[in-house]
Amino acid sequence: MSFEPKILGIACNWCTYTGADLAGTTRLQYPQNLRVVRVMCSSRINPSFIFRAFQLGADGVLVGGCHPGDCHYNTGNLYARRRLAVTKKILEFSGIEPERFRVEWISASEGNRYAEVVTEFTEQVKQLGPQTKFKISR
Amino acid sequence: MASSFKQIEDKLKTEAKKLLKTGQVSVVLAYGKGYDDNHPMPYIAKLPSDADNIVFNEYCTHNLARYLVRYPKGTKIAVAVKAADSRAVIQLIQEEKVKREDLILLGLPAYGMKNSKTGEIIDSQTTCGLYNPVLYDTLLGEEVHGQPVVSPYDVLAQYEAMDKDARFEFWKKEFDKCIRCYACRKACPMCYCDPCFIDQNNPRWGEKSPQSHGNLMYHLTRFHHLAGRCIDCGECSRACPVDIPLYLFHKKVAKECEEMFGQASGMRIDDKPVLVNFRVDDSDKILE
Ligand code: SF4
Ligand code: SF4
Repeated sequence: MSFEPKILGIACNWCTYTGADLAGTTRLQYPQNLRVVRVMCSSRINPSFIFRAFQLGADGVLVGGCHPGDCHYNTGNLYARRRLAVTKKILEFSGIEPERFRVEWISASEGNRYAEVVTEFTEQVKQLGPQTKFKISR
Repeated sequence: MASSFKQIEDKLKTEAKKLLKTGQVSVVLAYGKGYDDNHPMPYIAKLPSDADNIVFNEYCTHNLARYLVRYPKGTKIAVAVKAADSRAVIQLIQEEKVKREDLILLGLPAYGMKNSKTGEIIDSQTTCGLYNPVLYDTLLGEEVHGQPVVSPYDVLAQYEAMDKDARFEFWKKEFDKCIRCYACRKACPMCYCDPCFIDQNNPRWGEKSPQSHGNLMYHLTRFHHLAGRCIDCGECSRACPVDIPLYLFHKKVAKECEEMFGQASGMRIDDKPVLVNFRVDDSDKILE
């Protein structure tokens, strides 16, 4: 059986989550590997969520937020951009593949782009194979 | 010619006595005698007569900025600061933990500080490689000059060049040694949260017993919380009983922050810490 990755998606309520809804209502097809959690803003994402997700067995983490300048709270995603950039560098230096973590800006009207990003990211994580470095073995 | 440790010690004593006598400050944070000469300890002088107990020698590595946040706001404090320690003070001022006007900074220009465990000289390998305080009110001694200028990030090259799997194994081996004594957290001037995330029960961010996954969570998150704030004093690594080279990771994060956001931590009072700040024109490239 081919490897089906488990991917955690964290989407902001106002843009990416609504974009995902749009992708759904327009009946776009995309892989089902993504489990989406909705947060109110991309700056709500505590970087420990991402470390924890990898520990609990996620093979990849995809964060979606509003395009810079479009944040519902004006500046949330601008803080998130800096913070998550640091998260990525930390993941990289710790030795996990940084490609397993991605941040994308997807607006509420970009249902197509949502489907594309999910498809592409799922494919990328599939190529990398199962994530074992952080995963807690029980 | 830089001043000797003895000269600095004498000046520190005189200055501390003067400040306490005139009542300009209620405490002086300095160094005092430990169980032997190689292990001096932080010392808090409250009375003019206490000033005689102050010592300063090459093993006085502790970052005394650590103790500033313990006092109620508005307490007048004099604190002896070496180079990195003064950066810690600046960073604490930026974070509004202390006020500049409440502090009197006694600058200690010192080259040749030694690690009391190994006896090695502490330089840019394990710290920021500065020898003169960045900010001070009185400088107790001559400025240090003539040390070769080396980037504190040079030491990273060999780790950055490692293959990622090898680097993971390297860190796993190091983090697995951790006994979760939290000396790193206690020694760090920037670790003032109460409670620390790792001590919380709800949500429980990571295992609290010294197991490898809990250790990984603790350390990675701690590195993240210190991003753009760590001033590279190296105290965490010197405090660690099992010698985990925490400074390497902190340096790496500091280097990335400096490259991405163009600002080093603890250099100017008017800066804002990089992660509570943003620029509209930050590039999306930083996320790649
Ligand atoms: S993390 Fe370590 S090097 Fe950085 S400020 Fe804290 S004690 Fe100093
Ligand atoms: S000082 Fe060392 S052993 Fe203690 S908690 Fe920190 S890293 Fe672990």
